[in-house]
Amino acid sequence: MQASTGPSTPAQAPSASRDLRLDFFRGVALICIFVDHIPENYLNSFTLSAVGFFDAAEVFIFISGFTAALVYGRALAQRGALIATVQVLRRAWQLYVAHIFLFVIFIAEVSYTVRAFNNPMYNEEMGVGDFLEHPHIAVVQALILQFQPTFLDILPLYIVLLLIFPLVLIALRHNVWLAFVPSALIYLVVQISGVDMPAYPPGSVWTFNPLAWQFLFVLGAVLGRTDAHRRGPADLLLLAVPPAVVIALAVLVIRLSWTFHGIYEGFPALFLRQLWPINKGNLAPLRLISFFALFVLVARWVPPRAWFLRAAAARPVVLCGSHSLEIFCLSILLSALGHFLMSEVAAGFPMQLAVNVVGIAAMCLTAAVLDWYRAMQREPLTPPMPAGGERGDGEN
Amino acid sequence: MGGRRNSAVPAAIALAGFLAAASVAPPGMAAEPDECATPPELTEASPQLPRLAARLKAHQPAKIVAIGGASTIGQAAGSPDLSYPHQLEQILAQDFPDASITVVNKGVPRQSARQNLERFPTDVFAEDPVMAIWETGINDAVRGTDIDDFAETLQSGVDQLKNRAIDTVLIDMQFSRSATALINFDEYLKALHRVGDVAEVYVLPRFEMMRYWSEQNVFDFDDVAPADRTALAARVYDCLAQKLSQIIRRAVP
Repeated sequence: MQASTGPSTPAQAPSASRDLRLDFFRGVALICIFVDHIPENYLNSFTLSAVGFFDAAEVFIFISGFTAALVYGRALAQRGALIATVQVLRRAWQLYVAHIFLFVIFIAEVSYTVRAFNNPMYNEEMGVGDFLEHPHIAVVQALILQFQPTFLDILPLYIVLLLIFPLVLIALRHNVWLAFVPSALIYLVVQISGVDMPAYPPGSVWTFNPLAWQFLFVLGAVLGRTDAHRRGPADLLLLAVPPAVVIALAVLVIRLSWTFHGIYEGFPALFLRQLWPINKGNLAPLRLISFFALFVLVARWVPPRAWFLRAAAARPVVLCGSHSLEIFCLSILLSALGHFLMSEVAAGFPMQLAVNVVGIAAMCLTAAVLDWYRAMQREPLTPPMPAGGERGDGEN
Repeated sequence: MGGRRNSAVPAAIALAGFLAAASVAPPGMAAEPDECATPPELTEASPQLPRLAARLKAHQPAKIVAIGGASTIGQAAGSPDLSYPHQLEQILAQDFPDASITVVNKGVPRQSARQNLERFPTDVFAEDPVMAIWETGINDAVRGTDIDDFAETLQSGVDQLKNRAIDTVLIDMQFSRSATALINFDEYLKALHRVGDVAEVYVLPRFEMMRYWSEQNVFDFDDVAPADRTALAARVYDCLAQKLSQIIRRAVP
């Protein structure tokens, strides 16, 4: 398998051996993130969280760890630890800039809708405050990743994960256990003690506890590393298939029963009382188990270049996944706009359908344009430039 | 969505307005009966309130504790006398003339579900009620409380009430179109209703009721002249009290 490229990794020439699964499933995750961020959206019932105890966040973080290990692992092997580290940090910086971009969207949304609070029923409840009450503090807290309103939560996690990634990378090169064991231990401590990362305003915590979520990222990196070196534990994978099938089916049945119960109350919601809520912030083990059951099934039965991944219908999704950062930012902007339209203009089904269709189409179209632009930049210029020669996509 | 807050200044001005208006407001700002009408599917449920029913059957006094936030204390109406718990007490006095039902108001503005729960020992259990009405969730949606923590807090509260044999009703958030444009109430509503579902506790769908009134132009929560605010709040609280009294009448044969 070869690296998924895309903006989350230094530029690579597209290759015939590229593992399309990484781009495809990251694209699926991005579309789910868009849909899930629109409140009262009927499509919410059909995203990843409808079939498992996990959602798009797990897919996104896992694939990010996987591709990071592939791409920066290669940089480490070819160009040394210093260059690899600088590349990772440069990527973290890009994510940080994207985070600030999303924060500006947030400010625009809040500032525009603040008139909402000339509302007698809400004045007292809304009068609690940080952003508009203490903007000077909130802005600084956002700059240091401590202020995380909705949709400003996953990039801070990703940035922190990348900041520690050079260490993971060096550990991986020596021995995968050197990366895995400390990471698993920290995860265990979080599960047992419930330790959280404090955030702003005081009393709140990071939406995605990095101490827990680092485990999934490192697991992705470990698997990416073993995969790159063709040391994939093939026997282990085969052994894991039967339990994975059982778990995935059981979770699917349980999860569907919850969805049906939500639509028609007479339908029994299996184990709802025992299992729900399944803590997302601390990445509850059930979420991990459910995720890896599906991962095993995909690894076993979906080849890297399966026919349906190469099909024209899958192309837009693959493109979204291969330009993940830009498409992620766009999806956040679009879901905020969609939410606004649905609550301010019309809430009916036609509007909802339009928001979903136009939003997803805009994401795919943008990804196609970005891809066209990247391909164009890669083409050797004739006559060749005297110095510098071929350019990457500007990321290297 | 986390951290989208109002400036304190408009809130303070508005509050001053409420207080000024309340002092000159005519008494008895009850809602017209048909104003409160909602589609039957919103309030057709008949929850079980066995302790309250037993107490009333035995002609013993019954105490109900209303715990929650600003809309429990009745802040927007300008006076606790116009809050929903007080209006509920008056309606119940008419409905059950030979019973003595008191409704204790334990609303504290700007509190999260967790902060409500922390008040349970002093404000609910210490009152030894047969029934509790817990109105919560707005502050959590506004502050962006972690959704799983929110659900766990509610579950813990509902379980504690159940273990102490206190009949329980939950009330979900208030609706306003413009607030909904800014805050993602959806997942908090789903969590609250799911807690009720799992614990078999009735949830009064205030959000959907208010949305219905807003869409039918019965009440406009978004463009209210300052002078009309306290009156509007009092009428909505009255409707809420009427809905709750209907639920109680159905549960107490």
